Amino acid sequence: MLKKGFMSFIVLVIALLAVSCTQPPEEERKLAEKAFRDAALAKDCDKENYVAAEELLNKAREAYAKEKNDEAKELFIKVKEKADAMLEYYRTHPDECMPKKEVVVQKEKKVVEMDKDDPANPDMEFPLIHFEYNKYEIRDEDEAYIKRIYNWMTNFEEAVIRAEGHADERGSIDYNMALGEKRAQAVKKALVMLGIDANRIKIISYGEERPVSDGHDEDSWYQNRRVEIVKTNF
Amino acid sequence: MDFRTRLISAAFFIVIFTVSSLSAQLVGEVNQGGFEDYSIAAQDILNSDGKESELSKELTSTLRKDVELTGFFALLNPKGFLEAPSIDLDVKDFKNWLNIGANGLVKGFVKEGKESVLEIAFYDVAKGKKVIHKQYTSSPEGMRMAVHKFVRELVLILTGETINFISSKIVFVEKNAGAYSLVTTSFDGSDRRVLYSSNSIIALPSWSHDGNEIYFTSYSTGNPYLYAINRKTLKTRIIAGYEGLNTSADASPDGNSIALRLSRDGNSEIYVKNLKNGSLTRMTKNLSVDTAPSFSPDGKQIAFVSDRSGTPQIYRLFIDNPSRVERLTAQGNYNQDPEYSPDGKHIVFTGRDEYYRFDIFLFDLESRIILRLTQNQKKNENPSFSPDSRLIVFSSDRTGKNSLFISNITGNRQILIYSGNGEVITPSWSPELEELK
Repeated sequence: MLKKGFMSFIVLVIALLAVSCTQPPEEERKLAEKAFRDAALAKDCDKENYVAAEELLNKAREAYAKEKNDEAKELFIKVKEKADAMLEYYRTHPDECMPKKEVVVQKEKKVVEMDKDDPANPDMEFPLIHFEYNKYEIRDEDEAYIKRIYNWMTNFEEAVIRAEGHADERGSIDYNMALGEKRAQAVKKALVMLGIDANRIKIISYGEERPVSDGHDEDSWYQNRRVEIVKTNF
Repeated sequence: MDFRTRLISAAFFIVIFTVSSLSAQLVGEVNQGGFEDYSIAAQDILNSDGKESELSKELTSTLRKDVELTGFFALLNPKGFLEAPSIDLDVKDFKNWLNIGANGLVKGFVKEGKESVLEIAFYDVAKGKKVIHKQYTSSPEGMRMAVHKFVRELVLILTGETINFISSKIVFVEKNAGAYSLVTTSFDGSDRRVLYSSNSIIALPSWSHDGNEIYFTSYSTGNPYLYAINRKTLKTRIIAGYEGLNTSADASPDGNSIALRLSRDGNSEIYVKNLKNGSLTRMTKNLSVDTAPSFSPDGKQIAFVSDRSGTPQIYRLFIDNPSRVERLTAQGNYNQDPEYSPDGKHIVFTGRDEYYRFDIFLFDLESRIILRLTQNQKKNENPSFSPDSRLIVFSSDRTGKNSLFISNITGNRQILIYSGNGEVITPSWSPELEELK
């Protein structure tokens, strides 16, 4: 009875082994094929893995065709793992992996709504630095803006900027050119003091020639007394 | 243009019919009477058919503008005239002119043709005599100059003074919808000519010593460099292209150098650039703004603007010893754009009053008194002297947009001479440009 039972166990094990060795790995094949098809989404952003997965899959198909079932099964499992990893990468890196058109839309939205003030954003919008009438000292309330420009320049070390100084319409064309230059210099100096290489900051003055507001009141004048930062090589 | 003007000048054929012996007696009368006491009626100039024409109307307006501009006389309003214009220059009856209070009368007519002929006369109304009677022959384009010459003659006979600007020009910047033009006109605002146009900034023109070139700053390369443009050939050449601002050139009286503002050392400073060998001499050295240089006529001093006291003020430095600097303006806390008069007696400048209004002021170097030339007429800026130091051109927005006005040095007579399509700014008056026959 015991012997018979033992024998049956052996037979069962052998049978199981025989099944596992001889049966084609249908399940693994289906899973691998599907995973690979799905992973095609990530084809562009994870090309290396995609090519590797494709190679594996071709080998697996070959083994499967030649009924090298064990080898085929192992390969199909590897294909699935690879494809799953690609899909995971795709899910966690939508910016890189989404189809191009959608990427643009998404990116723009993101910049406008979230990142325009973020120094980590290469397209950060530079804050305007404003000045008091006939003055070229940076006001306390603008220190945070200077810091933001500094942070951006630290994040993008190759970038060179131009500080463009402007004056309001009052006073002479001649003197206002000097005033605009002094203001641009003040911004440059503040950034250099924080540690930015002076060679990365060009300056120019447009005097009163490039107003942003055409009005003749204090509000317009305030808007026009400014330094604008422009990226020159980025 | 100027070549043509020269031809016109050469082609002038002037006939003097009479120069009354009265003229000698008249000399001095006008000056003794003071400004505007000597009133002149300038009758409409007609063509030889006794009618108005385009040319005759232009000559009439030129005549009236000249009489006003010279600053010696009061011009009577033609609406008050009791007599219709005519081509009869043999005036016998002066009753109609006496009745409207005219001291002097000008009448003339123009015979139009390829060679036009202007016949024009001046009469002393009180004495009932013709004093000047002249005939000028030139192309129609040269006829305005004939009127200028006649008025110069008139001033000489009545006052003994020689007006010395009838061939001079005014250069300025005209801004229209973001486009910049460098423009010249003759001293009376006629003969507009664009020398240079650009969508980039053009600023702060001034004349070379001989009047052949105009210095100006252009941003055409992206940077504010100083150029010179020949007013005849329109060829430009770079004068200063240092890092930073290269602006505000002022020619030295001997023509050998220019004073200018450079910020190559990180801050606006006054330099003198030798035009012969290109050498630069730095005149100011401090952390404040120093700009807008103007040579004194003896070439020994430079007036300039500095904010070393905290606000822009007028100073002068002595070229032999640039560290010797004298502050000229103590009144007002915002004074800019100084220019020496060619006779060395005055410095004209733009000042801001306690109501934050910009006006033209005159600093008398001998008495050190400051005279205000404009007031309550909106914004007035960028004054520049005529070659004879009698008149000042400046820009004013009193008509709603910046236009050019001419004032005498007392400020009691101000005349609009040019109003362009856009904003007209930063005028600079040339030296007298060529000798006239």
